[in-house]
Order: sequence, then structure tokens, then C-alpha cells
Amino acid sequence: MSTIKGFLSEDHGRCDELFAKMEDAVTQSIENAKEAYDAFAEATERHFQMEERVMFLEFEQKTGMTQGPTAIMRHEHAQMRNLLAEMGKAIEAKDKDKFFGNSETLMILMQQHNMKEEQMLYTMAQQHLSAEADRIVDMMRSMIVE
Amino acid sequence: MDFDGLSVDQAPPITAPLRFFATAPLFALLAGFFIFFSDAATLSSRFAPQTVAITHAITIGFFSFVMFGALVQMLPVLAGVKIARVDKVSKISYALLVMGTLGMIFGLWFELSKFLLVAALLLGGGFLLLITVMLFAFRTVVHVNASIRAMITSLVFALLITLLGAHLLASYGIGKFGALHHLFANIHSVWAIFGFAGILIIGVAFHILPMFYVAPRFEPSFQRFVTPMIGAALALWLVLNLFAPSYTVVAKSLIVLLFIVFALAALSKLNARRRKVSDITIWYWKSATLFMVFGALTWVANDFFDEKYSVVVSVLIGGGFIFSVMSGMLYKIVPFLVWFHLNAKGYMSIPTMNDMINKKAAKWQFALFIISLVGFTLSFFIVELLGFFALTFIISMVLLEFNIISAVLIYFKTIKTKPDFDMSMFTMKTE
Repeated sequence: MSTIKGFLSEDHGRCDELFAKMEDAVTQSIENAKEAYDAFAEATERHFQMEERVMFLEFEQKTGMTQGPTAIMRHEHAQMRNLLAEMGKAIEAKDKDKFFGNSETLMILMQQHNMKEEQMLYTMAQQHLSAEADRIVDMMRSMIVE
Repeated sequence: MDFDGLSVDQAPPITAPLRFFATAPLFALLAGFFIFFSDAATLSSRFAPQTVAITHAITIGFFSFVMFGALVQMLPVLAGVKIARVDKVSKISYALLVMGTLGMIFGLWFELSKFLLVAALLLGGGFLLLITVMLFAFRTVVHVNASIRAMITSLVFALLITLLGAHLLASYGIGKFGALHHLFANIHSVWAIFGFAGILIIGVAFHILPMFYVAPRFEPSFQRFVTPMIGAALALWLVLNLFAPSYTVVAKSLIVLLFIVFALAALSKLNARRRKVSDITIWYWKSATLFMVFGALTWVANDFFDEKYSVVVSVLIGGGFIFSVMSGMLYKIVPFLVWFHLNAKGYMSIPTMNDMINKKAAKWQFALFIISLVGFTLSFFIVELLGFFALTFIISMVLLEFNIISAVLIYFKTIKTKPDFDMSMFTMKTE
């Protein structure tokens, strides 16, 4: 049986790994880092959407909490999308300083965000949605990024 | 389940941690001046009032200010707990602690006994308020992990050393020392360094190293056992001190072994970090682990030399390990908090956290700090050097304060001048 918590936490790990690879690539040469950036940006966007378009919706429906934790998580997603965009611009402008300034900030924001999700939101989602966990994980897996 | 920790609005106001962070280097600066104006012979005795004054300018003024500032900020994030009336509690305790610390330092230096009695009350009150409110906040934690257990353990040690410390200070105040004064002082200092600061640093490192540097996580079994074992070793150390003083070295070795294992593990995690970018905070963490190893070995060896080298031990562990970790944390947390709170208020074009502190100034600060530590150790053997290294330490602390303040100023300037206020963020606001 899949668990929502396990599935999404693992995906956090995957994004962390891509993040580190991207920073490695930029350290070596910002001219050739576009690919690594795209890989990280795509994985992250996919993760956000799996939550926003699948798991959060199910959670909100089940618990009736639309202004609670999921709203705060959506807000943080917006903050992170913003930083991601800035990093993309920095890569285009080949501005290493600007890139690392934003990636550093994103890193901490992302880790705090993941910690809150893994410790609180996912645990709670798992409790409320355990009966439908398989279906929800399947939906997240097969979701197409918009 | 309590979700307050998730919310920007429920997070403590930025001023709650910042006032502690911005004040801490000033106390270290004060300590630097006192070192400059004292002679090395006096300072080689750990019970001389001057030594106690300088030590506490660092341990209370710098260490505890940074640690409590960080706890105020991190409890909601790391443990998901909400500190009751956090703004009021931090303001009141801050005021009590600032006055108490100043009273204690100047009271000891200029032998003003009334100052010491008042300081004992102020410091006792300030610390007890913070500690009890925080311990009380933990009652809502559902999922207790290793970090949370470490924080609770370290706060319990903080509670005990506060009570002991207030008693010891009051003894200086009335000028009467009980038969157990030296034993109490010993318990107070060992528990403060290893029980409060040490366990807290370890517990936070479990989170911080993977979080800031994408370092591998500490093994779960290590996380589970290391802080309870340190707690047990510190308790054993107390029992042996009371009933079998000649065997304390057994407990000491155990404590030392656990800290060395932690230090080496932390160093290997840092070296294996996925995020290869190196900055001043990495240097501080690495130097901290190395100083911990040397300091711990010296502490055990000290037993075989009639405790002649206690001052060297304090420089290595207090300065090399704890002070380094605290400085590294300041360089990371303060710029992040400034960015985070400005961003949450809707300011978009703000400097990134990398641009808030001048990198050159940070490097100089680090170099001068390490030079001062090595110099203080040398001064123990060549007393004439102390004045010079007091100066390098003073300059290093001026730079540290300058660096911290330059990030803090960005926050207040931005709030004041309101550049390109981005209204679109408000549509994202959740409450």
C-alpha cells in the first residue's frame, strides 16, 4: 500500500538531489547550467502541482479546511516559484552572484517548507485520507503538469 | 493538531529574535574590553571575580542571547509549537537579561555587592520566564523526534543551571560561600556547557546541517541515542562528584567521547554535503568541530595536571566550539529572517540573503576570531600576548556586530522607504 506521506516525502528528496546537481552545474559553468536548472524547475513545479491539484484538494474536501494549512502551503509555493523564476533569469543573464543569492534563499525556504509538510501536513493528510491513499497517489503519479 | 507554526502571521515577529541577535556581539565586545584591561595572572584563576565576569559576558551575554533568540524563532518551525505571548515574553525577558547581565558583570568587576543580588534576581527571573514558557509550549507536540527531545533536555539543564547560577551569584553578593560553592560552580559550568549549549547544538545540528547544506542526515540510531546518553553521562558525573570524586574521570571520558563522536560525525556530514557551495558558515561549523575535539581531549587531560589548564579548556570549547557555532548561525539566520519577513510583507525587489552581509567583512571577522582564539591559548603560556589578542578579538566583535546590523538595517530601511510595493502578493495572502 502506498502512503501519501511516503510518496511526497520521497519526492522532496528527489527535488533536493536535483537542486544540489543544479548548484554543482552552476559552480562549474553558468553557461552550461540551463539543463540542470530546467530539470530542477520541472521536478519542483510537478511536485507543487501534485499537491495543489490533487492532494490539497482531496484534503480540503475531506476536512473542510480551505483556509488552513493548505492555504499557507500554497502561499509558500508562490514564494518559491518567484525565486525559481529569478534563478532562471540569473542563468540567462549569466549572473552567478544573483543566481546563488536566490538559490540560497530558496534552499532554506524549501527546507523549512518541506519540514512543515512532512511533520504536520502529510501526517494529517495520511490520517484523514488513508482509505483513499492508493487512489490519490496514483492520481498524483499520472498527473500531467499544466 | 496545532497549525500555528505553519503560518507567517503566527510566526514570532522579526523583532523577537533580532533583539537578542543584535545585542549578543555587544556583550562579547564588552568582554573583549575587560580582557584588555585585566592581567593574565588574575584570569588564570577561574574563580576570580574578574574571570567570572568575563566568562559570563560571553556565556550569558553572547551564548544565551543567541540560543534563546534562535529558540524563539525555531520552536515554531522545527517543533511546530507556539510560544505563548511570544512578543511580550521575549521583550520582558530581554529587558531582565540585559539589566541582569550588566549588573552581574559590573558588580563583579567593581565589587558592588548590591548589584550582584539584584542581578541574581533579574537573571533568574529572565531565564525562568523564557525556559518555563518554552517547556510549557512543548506540551502540544504530538510527534516527538530526536531534535525536539534534545531541545527539551537542554532546556531542563538550562532550568537547573539557572537555579544554581542564581544561588552562586547571590553568594558573591553576600560574600559568604558555602562549603559546596566550588562543587556547585563546577556543576553549573559543566552542565551549562555540555548539558544546555552542547545538547542544544547537537539537536539543532540534526536539522540544520541537512537543511542548510544538503548534508546527509545523521543516522537515526545515532540521533536517538546520543543526547539521552549525554544527559545520562552528565547525571552520572554529578553522582560521582558527590559520592566518589576520584572516579569522575570515568563520566568525563564518556561525555568527551560522545561529543567527539558528534564532532567527527558532523564534520564528515559537512564534507559529504551535496551542496558544495562554501561560505563563512561552513567554515565556522568546520572549525567548531575541530576545536571541540581538541577541547574535549584537553578537558580530560586537565584532570591529570591538577586542573591547571581549565582556562585553555574554556577557550577551546567555549570559544572554539560554542562561539563558532553561534556565529555561524547568526550569519545564516539573520539574513534569512530579514528576507523572509520582507517577502511575507509583499516586498519583492529586495536584496537576496547573499547580498545582505559584505562577504569580505565576514571573512575578516572569521579570521580575526580564529586568530584571537589561538592567541588566547598562547597567552596562557606567554602572558604578555594577552593585550594584543584582546584587541584582535575586539575588532572581530565590532565586525560581527557591524555585519549583523547591516542585515537588520536592510529590513528597517525597506519597511521605511517602501520600494515597489507589490500588491499582487496580497492576493496570495491567506488570512
